[in-house]
Amino acid sequence: MIAVQRATPFACTWLIEKEDRTPEVVMTANPTYWDHTRGPFVQKVVFRNALTPADALDRCISGDGEVDIVTEVSPADAQRVIDSKFAHLEVHDANRVLVGVFNRHPNRDVPLDDKHLRTALNLAVDREKVIRDGLLGYASNIASLTPPWCAGHPKDLQPFGCDPAAAKAEFTHVKWPAGRALRIATGGGFAGIANLVADDIRKNLGIAVDVMVGDDAGALGGARALAEGKLVPEWDLLLNFWFDISSEAAPAMIHREFFGSDGAFRVGPELPDFNTLYDDMAGETEPAAFVKKAETIDRYSKEEALGLFLCSPKTLTAVNNFVKFEPYATTFELAEATILDGHWSTKK
Amino acid sequence: MSTITTAAPTAQTRRTPVGTLNVFDPSPLNWLFITWNTMEEPIRTDHDGRAVYSMATGHRYIDGGKTLEIDIRTGVSFQNGEPLTAHQIKRAFDEMQRWEAPHPPGTWLNFPPESVAEVVHDHQIRFHFPKPDGLALAKMRGFHVPSMSFWSEGPGFGYSREGSGNGNW
Repeated sequence: MIAVQRATPFACTWLIEKEDRTPEVVMTANPTYWDHTRGPFVQKVVFRNALTPADALDRCISGDGEVDIVTEVSPADAQRVIDSKFAHLEVHDANRVLVGVFNRHPNRDVPLDDKHLRTALNLAVDREKVIRDGLLGYASNIASLTPPWCAGHPKDLQPFGCDPAAAKAEFTHVKWPAGRALRIATGGGFAGIANLVADDIRKNLGIAVDVMVGDDAGALGGARALAEGKLVPEWDLLLNFWFDISSEAAPAMIHREFFGSDGAFRVGPELPDFNTLYDDMAGETEPAAFVKKAETIDRYSKEEALGLFLCSPKTLTAVNNFVKFEPYATTFELAEATILDGHWSTKK
Repeated sequence: MSTITTAAPTAQTRRTPVGTLNVFDPSPLNWLFITWNTMEEPIRTDHDGRAVYSMATGHRYIDGGKTLEIDIRTGVSFQNGEPLTAHQIKRAFDEMQRWEAPHPPGTWLNFPPESVAEVVHDHQIRFHFPKPDGLALAKMRGFHVPSMSFWSEGPGFGYSREGSGNGNW
């Protein structure tokens, strides 16, 4: 891993350069774990790291005994799991967001520091179509950055609807350079979604859109440049994916990373109003007041259209039919996993 | 941090673990998931991501929010038989505080360098911060607490193993 650090105020972003996994990682049950209502119920878990994702999924859905659980199943493979005689698909809300990062640097030819433009882009995109066609339904609509099931989500805050008339009305306030195409950047995994977004913007705002798909080889360099924040990117909008480790304090893990003073995904000048709201929340120790302040941050982020808020992708897991496993929103934990009668590992 | 809930009660009969699971997890966070499967923290999250007590059983802010007092679960032992007390939690905190950036998910999980852990008694600990920290309990999700032998004889983290806090796990 490499660490991109800033001294004042201190901030650090870790980036994975490469993984060096052993072929297997074996976990054995702790039989004295205090919460034995939770688990562990399985004696041994083997992480089979030598497999490829495609091979692992094939083995899971085509027989017993090779792979019992495969995480991070692509929506494109979901139906194969559903059709399997050996495995089933577990679908769970996950604390993950797919968001367009605006290049808000001032004095560029495209004024993404202008709220009218950011709002126009949000109103031009059909999120239901992104979810339906881009993720085959395996995602939830989001109004801002806090998924609806998390603390700090304002219950009355609605997602941007696709409203071409309102989008065009906002766009009339924008000095868009004639002939300039909006540049959307993304990694290969979200190319299809980038093209859906681009189609909507072309159709509803009447401007050209170029989609720039980066390859895996350039991903680390791109992430590093983003975290360092020293260069002004050539793209206008970057489709980015992020996650949270709990459902309790989304602004700390998500909003701060996209918009905060030390956020790795903030592209443009600091946002003093956001920083004030964030500091106010971070110093709040009374639970109800904390949640209210988290709601205020989520609402502010939407009202300022600070990102192109797209959706919260669900987690898809292939599970052998002789295994009981319920996914988590934030982690992959196996304490409660249970094998059922007939599982290959208990057959004599 | 919203209201935290208590983990499941422990009244029912213990089941003997059986069988083997073969799993495949390509997530770039696999290193973190392995850690969460093998270590424990003052709090963890349930399936929906909501905080539940784990090593902790209660908490309260005192001193205007500048001190977080945590009650530590009793009757719990590590795999090597070592009873869990506030002393392991203080040791883990002190080791963690030697690092500039111990948490790959973000420096928001850092406690301020001036923070101090104080053992009140074997099952209660206080964390003193330079100013009120409403995120302190949420940060505990990333605060892994091993036995004392982890540091003295086991693999250790950071300074304990590598002599530096450069991020080698």
